[in-house]
Amino acid sequence: MIKKGLHTVFLFLFCLQVNSQSKNDSLALNFHLEFNKLPLQLNKKYVSASNDTLSIEVFRCYISAIEIHYEDQSTFIQKNSYHLLDSDKPNSFVIPLTNKSDKLISKITFNIGIDSTTNNAGALTGDLDPAKGMYWAWQSGYINMKIEGKSPNCKTHNNEFQFHIGGYLQPYYAMRTMKFSWDKKADDDISIGIDLFRFFSNIELKETNSVMIPGKEAMRLVNYVDKMFYSQ
Amino acid sequence: MKKIIIIVGLLLLAFGILAFSKGFFTTPLYLEVPKGWPKPVYDFSKNPLTEEGFQLGRNLFYDPILSRDKTISCESCHLQNTGFTHIDHAVSHGIEGKTGTRNSLALVNLAWSKDFMWDGGVNNLEVQPINPITNPLEMDETMENVVAKLQQSQKYRTLFTKAFGDEKVTSQRLLKALTQFTVMLKSSDSKYDKVIRHEASFTKEEQKGYELFKINCATCHKEPLFCDDKFENNGLIPDASFKDGGRIRITKNRKDSLRFKVPTLRNIELTAPYMHDGSIKNLQMVLFHYTDDIYDSPTLSKQLLKKIVLNQEDKGNMLAFLKTLTDETFINNPRFKYPR
Repeated sequence: MIKKGLHTVFLFLFCLQVNSQSKNDSLALNFHLEFNKLPLQLNKKYVSASNDTLSIEVFRCYISAIEIHYEDQSTFIQKNSYHLLDSDKPNSFVIPLTNKSDKLISKITFNIGIDSTTNNAGALTGDLDPAKGMYWAWQSGYINMKIEGKSPNCKTHNNEFQFHIGGYLQPYYAMRTMKFSWDKKADDDISIGIDLFRFFSNIELKETNSVMIPGKEAMRLVNYVDKMFYSQ
Repeated sequence: MKKIIIIVGLLLLAFGILAFSKGFFTTPLYLEVPKGWPKPVYDFSKNPLTEEGFQLGRNLFYDPILSRDKTISCESCHLQNTGFTHIDHAVSHGIEGKTGTRNSLALVNLAWSKDFMWDGGVNNLEVQPINPITNPLEMDETMENVVAKLQQSQKYRTLFTKAFGDEKVTSQRLLKALTQFTVMLKSSDSKYDKVIRHEASFTKEEQKGYELFKINCATCHKEPLFCDDKFENNGLIPDASFKDGGRIRITKNRKDSLRFKVPTLRNIELTAPYMHDGSIKNLQMVLFHYTDDIYDSPTLSKQLLKKIVLNQEDKGNMLAFLKTLTDETFINNPRFKYPR
């Protein structure tokens, strides 16, 4: 009887071991938040190409519907694929996907933001929990991306700028699908850069410093959101 | 043989302990759809109704714990005896007596509603409560804090366990439970309903009023729900200080300027004042508005382009009919009352 009990304990420990191992072995999508090719430091002063001195306090962004397409025509489509990247939680920038392998990856796709079906789906949980502060109350829907910080060029309260970009109703549907061709084996993490320099180089903070609702302005900014993402 | 019995017995015991330890026996609940009514819009498959979920929702609905300073509950603006709305106030007031810009809507037959709020900004009944909870003029609280406050409460840990199997409070569970209560607020037992079911008959005046209603009002206030889930400009003079464009705020489409949700007329006798801004005090004045006081603007409802003509007698009959939409069973239903 005791022997049997011991067996069970060993089996349990073995399972734990296997489990932790598989975590190390999983292929992850790894986002790197940057400013002009260097890792972004919160609250540090930067200068944009439009000559704005600025510092970033908050960066948050939803990544959803991650897919990996392999050379051999097989695909990995992540189930329940909704992830909130949060500059206050560095771990959130690493998204484990599937097992590593020797297969050649040909393409990676994901959405920046949340699709309209999910925006209509009622109360959700996990990264989609409306308590995460990425949800508009007066107009149902997720904020796809938040960028907040300060710049002396903003003649606003505390020199703050705030960009809350989102919207799911046409013609202001702000979600964007990103496609990256790839030509590497699935034995190492997939690195995608998010360079805020590219975003701020397209706007002048003196004029554009507060976009908080879905609409035309948000759609203009979405065009610059696209440009921040690049394959590394 | 004996061995088999013992094994089966042990299995049953194990199953029993497992089930009991989870404390998870719930009583299913159903929303009955009255005969002749459309299919509900709400998707019950993602939030199966249970007695325990309903009771949790009912407790939450009546509890000011949802507001920042524990002074305002859902009931503050949605009282059962006035058809689940706030009377005597043109626009509702919230925390510290602050006022918003809109008249609180009556919570009734929500299972059949596609959009919520006067501008239809909310797309699902489940996410509706986030609005009043987080609005600085209403409850001025964060979802995060509400979840934390409920998690600290022994009463709610017990109620959440009964409804969901464990004591963990999440915003999703909170919202689904509140929905289980509000989605059950069905009014289908007014005199009008009884007449339709051949259990009662209209008086002469009510019958005449009903005929006039069908000609002049029923296109937008469509039976049997007495609304049509659309947005219309009903010819009110825009309030200069509120600067409320209604639906355009959501769609950014100029055609939606000054359009607001067509509200239901069920229990209309009880829900004064009227209109999105609460600007009309009584039903007589509502009728006067539609016959004599339409403010013309580019988005005015097509239904109002032709003048509505009603004489004094017609108006009396119309009022008699509108009062048949009062549902005593609904406003006295003990299951919707403050939980004791």
